[in-house]
Parts: sequence; structure tokens; C-alpha cells
Amino acid sequence: MIPEEYFLGLAAVLFVIGAFGVLTRKNAIVVLMSIEIMLNAANINFVTFAAYRGDITGQVFAMFSIAIAAAEVAVGLAIFLNLQKQRDTVELPDLTLLRW
Amino acid sequence: MTFVEYTWLIPIFPIIGLLLVALLGKKTPEGGGYFAVGGIAASMVLSLLVAYEFLTGSRDLQTASLTWLNLGGSFQLDMGYYVDNLTAVMLIIVSILCTLILIYSIGYMHEEGERKRRYYVEISLFVVGMLGLVISSNYLMMFIFWEIMGLCSYLLIGFWYYKPSAARAAKKAFLVTRIGDIMFMVGIISIFASFGSLNFRDVFAAHPTDTTLLAFGMFMLFGGSIGKSAQFPLHDWLPDAMEGPTTVSALIHAATMVKAGVFLVARSFPLMVQTPDVMLFVAIIGGFTAIFAATMALNNPNIKRVLAYSTISQLGYMFLALGAGGYVLSQGLVAEGSAGFTAGMSHLMNHAFFKALLFLSAGAVIHAVHTEDMRLMGGLSKKMKITSFVMLIGALSIAGIPPLSGFWSKDEVLATVYNAGAVNWAFYLLYVMGVVTAFLTAFYMFRLWFMTFSGHESEAAHHAHEAPKVMSVPLMILAVFAFASGLIVLFGFGGVVFFQEADVRTAADVFTAVFSEWTTYVSIAAALLGITLAYLVYKKKSVSLDWATKGACKKVYDLLLFRYYFPQAYDAFGTQVIYGLARLTDWFDRKIVDGAVNGISFVAVRLGQVLRKIQTGMVQTYAMVIVGALAVILLLMYVFGGW
Repeated sequence: MIPEEYFLGLAAVLFVIGAFGVLTRKNAIVVLMSIEIMLNAANINFVTFAAYRGDITGQVFAMFSIAIAAAEVAVGLAIFLNLQKQRDTVELPDLTLLRW
Repeated sequence: MTFVEYTWLIPIFPIIGLLLVALLGKKTPEGGGYFAVGGIAASMVLSLLVAYEFLTGSRDLQTASLTWLNLGGSFQLDMGYYVDNLTAVMLIIVSILCTLILIYSIGYMHEEGERKRRYYVEISLFVVGMLGLVISSNYLMMFIFWEIMGLCSYLLIGFWYYKPSAARAAKKAFLVTRIGDIMFMVGIISIFASFGSLNFRDVFAAHPTDTTLLAFGMFMLFGGSIGKSAQFPLHDWLPDAMEGPTTVSALIHAATMVKAGVFLVARSFPLMVQTPDVMLFVAIIGGFTAIFAATMALNNPNIKRVLAYSTISQLGYMFLALGAGGYVLSQGLVAEGSAGFTAGMSHLMNHAFFKALLFLSAGAVIHAVHTEDMRLMGGLSKKMKITSFVMLIGALSIAGIPPLSGFWSKDEVLATVYNAGAVNWAFYLLYVMGVVTAFLTAFYMFRLWFMTFSGHESEAAHHAHEAPKVMSVPLMILAVFAFASGLIVLFGFGGVVFFQEADVRTAADVFTAVFSEWTTYVSIAAALLGITLAYLVYKKKSVSLDWATKGACKKVYDLLLFRYYFPQAYDAFGTQVIYGLARLTDWFDRKIVDGAVNGISFVAVRLGQVLRKIQTGMVQTYAMVIVGALAVILLLMYVFGGW
């Protein structure tokens, strides 16, 4: 059986990759994608612990998380679409309307 | 029924008159002047009833007041009336004079047209102020009415406001008296600090613990008197105040308002006598002002200005008498001190009558010849028989010729000052000044009379005509008062208006006392000398005073004509000292006060501009901080333990 640490390691690597993307990328869609990676890292953790501890709660959590992520992406992409229509850009540093 | 209880109504009647004039003045004849006369006549009737009832009764102090403001603890301000002998006598004088002068106004202001309504409103308000001042039961109330009079004085001096000189004079009167008013206010605050009350009854009964504070307060109170009664060095507004209508000069600037300063000192006498130094100061200021103002009247060609200087000079006499009386009282000589108080107040009364008479006569002359320059008058006695005769009575009275009123009171004043010399030698000096003033007074009054009424008929006199009845009748009534009011000195004035000790001598005793003193003959001689000199110079023209306008004397002549350069001194004081001070404080305000405020805001704005860069507004920056901080915390927990 594959040891628990492998799954957790994979989740950690994915989380860090996602966080790096969120922090450094300028394009809003890429940032959103990075957030999805971070969410999935968390989901891997949930199912891992569910499987190894024999507790179904973790899987339920993962299901919720995926559903909410889908909704979030729908909302997020709708915002970006409107942004593209109105401001002609989805680059985050260009969105400075309320900034000094 | 007792009338004294209705004393508070006395200032109400002129208010009703005022409102009627203001509301109906346009539609009624004489701009509503009859309403004003009616209101004042009503308060005269009530004043006389109150005074009669009080003086024929037990003469106990009658006072009552309502709480006006209660600001917690002992800090309470009242409104009420305070009727004693002094109030009763003042009520008689003020109400009679106001009524007579207002009746005269109907004739004098006849040609003013639309502006008459304003005149009657303002003069009614003035009467409210004067009567209110007289019946006041505390210092604050007195101050309020005092300020109302100041306002009316300002408005009425500037009645012909389209004349620049009148507007200037009004402004000057307001500003100069303001100095005195501020001192009065400081005095009131000092009295409150000393006694914890402003009511006359409480204050006069109390014994102050801090005499320095009391002396300071009395000094400041007298400062108010100096401003209002035009004493040196705040005298210079009064001659300029002659820019107003002559009735205003007669009522406000001769008979009543300028007496308010004297009345204030007389009212505060129980406090004043506790501070001998202040009383001495009062006497010195009074004596000096008397002779100082009299010299300026000697060569002025303007009939009203001469009378204005004469008013200042006579007010000086009153202060001299009160000061001398109060000083000897504080040294324990009660009878002599009380005589000084009586002398001052009787001179106040007599002066009010004869000076109102003189001003109104001058008004009748000005009304007839349309000029105030005496050099353009002359020979008016044939055209204006009544006026010239009543003015002669006024002039004889002020000069101090027995048995006219001015003689009795002026003699009493000088006798008091001479007797006070036994206590302090300074009073001998003041006595000499008083006698010289009596000589000067007789001279300039008869110079005025001869220049106006005798000699060749001048250009202006050709078209002159006698004043109408409405003017000449008040003149004749006033002439009777000016002739006879002094005789009250013989018949018990000293038993009515006195301080601590009544003068209960009979008329015959007073008469012999007066005419057995050599000082009496000195003052009569001074007066006769002055009249004779004026007669020789201006009537017979056998003595020429041309030398006075030539050579070295020219300088002195100009000095007097230009009022010792006091207007210039006031201006210099205003433009140099006050304006310099204002500029200094302006600089301090702009540079130091504003500078500090602006500096603080400048630092805050700059700091904000720098610090707001921290808040980039970029979500990623904030996320970076969160992640970084989390990493640091985790690292620290790993190193130092605490998992």
C-alpha cells in the first residue's frame, strides 16, 4: 500500500505551486487556476485522511469543496468576462481605479 | 395704593411710545412725535408721583427685584427698582427735562420730514435708558441701561449720517466712551468678586475684606464715569457730539446722559468713601477737567461747541464736589462730606436745568439763523426777545450770579473744596482752579451772549424770527427752573439729598451761612469780573483782545482752538499704538498660532503621503504578507518549539 506521506507530500507540493501562482502571476485567470490547484491540494488531504483513518467525513468534505469550487469558478469567470468587456484587460496590476 | 411699587413702569411708558412711533409714525403728524411725547409725559407723571410719595413719606429705602438669571449658587442676577432720596430727585430732574425737551423737539425737528420717525424712536429709547438707569437696583442692570444710552447717543449724534463729520463724530463718541464702558465692566466684575453680589442693597451693607480689590473696582467704576461724563482724558468726544441735532445735544449731551457718570459715582458713594485715594483721584480729575475744558471754550466760534466745553467743565465741578466730599468723609468729617455730596448733586440738578435752557436757546438761534458760527450772528436780541432773555437767565445762572440757581450750587461746591483743604492741601489748589474756572465760565458765557444777541444786526439776523410757541414755551418753563431751582438749596435740598448726615438747617441759617463765608464773595467777584471783561471786549469793545491772536500768544490761541491737539492725539494713539498693537497681534496670529497649526497639519499630510504607499491596494501584496508572516511564524515555532 502506498504510504500516507506520499499523498500528503503531493498535496503539499501542489499547495505550494498554487500559492506561488497566486502570489506572482498577473493574469486574473491564471490566479484563479492557481487557487483551484490549492483547493485540490486540500481535497487530496481530505480524502487521504478519510481513507487512512476510515472516516467518511473527509470524503464528504471533499465533495462539498469541489461543488463550491465549481460555483466559485463560475462567478469568478463571469466577473473576468465583464472585466474584459469593460476595461479590455484581465491583468491585475492594471486594475487601479480605487488605488492612490 | 402706593406708587413706589409701580416704579418699574416708569421706563415702560416710553417703550410703548417708541412702539407706537415705530408702527404708526408714518401715518401720524410730526412722524409720531406726539406718541413719544405722550409716553414720556406718562412716565413723568408717574415719576413725579413716585418722587412725591417717597419724599413726603418716611423716605425709607424702597427696593424690590426679580431674579433674572440664576446660574447656580450665589451667582444670581436680578432686575428691580431701588428708590431712595437720590433716585427720587433724579427721577424728578430727568423726567421733567425729557418731557420739556421732547415737546421742544416737535418744533425743532418740524422740517426734518421722513427722518422724524427715526428721531422719535431713538430719543424714546434713550429716555428708556436714562430712566431705567436711575431706578436700577443693581450694577448689571445699570450697565445695561448705560449701554442703551451709549447706543442712542451714537445713533443720534449720527442722525444726519450723510454728513461725513456727523458720521465721524458718532463713531468717535462710541469708541471713546467704549474705553470707559470696558472699565465700568471690569469694575462690576471686581465688585462681584469682592461682595458676591451686584445688588445695591447687599453691596452697600457689606464690609469688604479686600480693600485693594475694592479700590481697584472703584477706580474702574470711575473710569466708566470718565468716559460717559466726558472727563479728562476721555473728554474729546463731547465737542464732536455737537454734530447731532441741538435737542439731542441738550438732552443727551448736557442734561441727562453725561450726568450718568456723576450719578454712578453718587450711587456708589457708600463704597467710594471707603477708598480715599480714589475719591482724591475723582476730585483731581474733576477739578482739572473743569479748568481745562473752560479754557477751550474761551475762543471757540461755534455756539454749540462753547456750550459743550462748558458742559464738560461743569461736570468737572460735580466730580470735584463728590470727590472732595467723599475724601473728607473717609477722613471722618461726616457733616462736611455730606455737604459735598449734596453740593455735587444740587449742581447736577441746577446744571441740568440751565444747560438744557442754554442749549435749547442756542437751538432756537440756530433754527432762526441757520448757522452755528457766532461770528455770523449778532444783533439778534431785537428779533428774538424771548430767546435772548431766557438765554440771559441761563448765562447768569451758569456764571453764578445770586440769586440764580448756578450760584447756590457752585458756591456749595467751592465751599466744600475749600473746607477739604484743611484735610489735604491739594484741595486748596483745586479750590483756586475752581475759582479761576468760575471766572472763565462767566467770561465765555457772556462772550457767547454778547456775540449772539448784541451789537449790529448781522446778515443772518435780518431773516431771523422768534421761535414758534412749541419751542418758546418749554424755554420759558426751563427758564423758571434755571432761575429758581437753586433756591431749593435754601429750602431743604440738603435734608433730602445727603449722605449719612442730613442737613437740617433752616433757610435763614443756610442763607446766613452762605453769605458769612468769604469764599462766597470770591466766587461772586470772579463771576462779575468775567462778565465785566466780556462786556468790555464784546459789547463796548473798549478793551481789545487782538494781542491774543498775534505773536507768541497766537500759539496759545491756536492751542485752545485746536483743543490742545487732543483729536490728533487720539488719532495718533489709534493709528500708532492701537494699530501697531493690532499689527503685532495679527503677526503673532498669522505666524505663531496659524504657523503652529499649519505646521502640524503639514507634517501629518506629508507623513500620510509617505505611509499610504504601504497600502498598495493590490490583493497579491497582502497575500504575500500573509503567507510570508505565516512562514515566519511556522519557522519560529519550529526553531523554538511549540508545535
